[in-house]
Amino acid sequence: MRNRFVIYFVCLAMLNLGSPLVAQAELIGTLQAVEASTRAQDLATVSSALARDQVRAQFVAFGVDPAQVETRVAALTDSELRTLAGKIAEAPSGADALAVIGIVFVVLLILEMVGVIDIFKKFP
Amino acid sequence: MRRSRAARAATLAAALVLAGCASRGPQLAPVAASGLPASVELESTPFFPQQDYQCGPAALATVLVASGAQVSPDDLVSEVYLPGRKGSLQAELVAAARSRGRLPYLLPPSLDDLLAQLAAGDPVLVLQKTGAGPWPGWHYAVVIGYDASRDRLVLRSGTESRLEMSATHFRATWDRADRWAMTVLEPGRLPARADFGRYMEAAAGLEAVSRLDDAERAYRAAALHWPDESLPRLALANTALARGDEAAAERELRAALSLAPDDVAARNNLAEVLRSMGCPESARREISTATRLAADGPLAAAVASTQRRIDASSGPDGPGCPAD
Repeated sequence: MRNRFVIYFVCLAMLNLGSPLVAQAELIGTLQAVEASTRAQDLATVSSALARDQVRAQFVAFGVDPAQVETRVAALTDSELRTLAGKIAEAPSGADALAVIGIVFVVLLILEMVGVIDIFKKFP
Repeated sequence: MRRSRAARAATLAAALVLAGCASRGPQLAPVAASGLPASVELESTPFFPQQDYQCGPAALATVLVASGAQVSPDDLVSEVYLPGRKGSLQAELVAAARSRGRLPYLLPPSLDDLLAQLAAGDPVLVLQKTGAGPWPGWHYAVVIGYDASRDRLVLRSGTESRLEMSATHFRATWDRADRWAMTVLEPGRLPARADFGRYMEAAAGLEAVSRLDDAERAYRAAALHWPDESLPRLALANTALARGDEAAAERELRAALSLAPDDVAARNNLAEVLRSMGCPESARREISTATRLAADGPLAAAVASTQRRIDASSGPDGPGCPAD
């Protein structure tokens, strides 16, 4: 019994030795250096971890397949995450110009019906 | 009678609006002055007609395939389409281009830069804002050419394989989308009119998502093109470190510091590399300089954290450490 405890202890100690030290948290990454030189002020506004959580939650809310959410969040850089966090509802999203063409058509139709313009009657 | 008066009013209003447009003059006229060809059309750019609201995946596939990547819009839907918004976010188009091993370069917001990129042979993905007021419409399309004499641009857009648009009309929609434009380049190639900050941010994005080989190719091109800048050297040191090559990293960091002795990030990283190489004394020297340079700047917290770690490792330098 005591022997087994010692073996467990040694195994755990060896596992610990094998694991790498903290992943170089003291190094300044290139993106961080770029940001520091360009827009120092936004760095402090939102923490990257918080931004990541917010974007993840919004992706789910906007219907991204849960199996894809992690991959999509991981593909974004910290600065992109901070830009997006909390703003996905308003951010531009290319959709379709067809809706606008439809609105123009309706406006023309109304103008036609109240008699301001006369374009549709030319096509019997 | 009543109708004809209203019609006249409408005609007058239309004439005023048109005059307003016309007074802006031709948009593409300055092309000749900037030494670009009078017309360009990248005819070999593929065309993927968009389905439903998926202009994002279609436009992105267009520029990616034009850059030599193998991808179809359907492959990209699960990476960039946001069902709840019936569209795609700019940041996700950028991210998906990175995931395909391309450098997503966001052009400076000027028509001239866009035309120069076309002249260099790269189609440009643009965001346009159509619609108005409560019905905003956003649209991604790909500009593939221009004709300065006719003041027109050529696009692959939506379901149109070749959409000609007057430059004035294009500007009206592009200006309202803050002139967002992206081109995707094979890492190692520079944009036609490379802006240092924009280029380095794009390249650093590749490093940030662990595409080290792609990032390194992009950094090498930057180090050649901007030999006086320290940032590409710092960047090359970071990719060397990510591969565990401390000697190469030290070399690059010293190169960075000889170009810019006040570069806080390079000074901090050199200190950390020296500590890790078993040279705590040299590390202490470098980090105290970094701390002084960082002052209360944006990197102060990172430098303080390095300082704590170096303070924890006492003792003299081991053999092979830099003398000084």
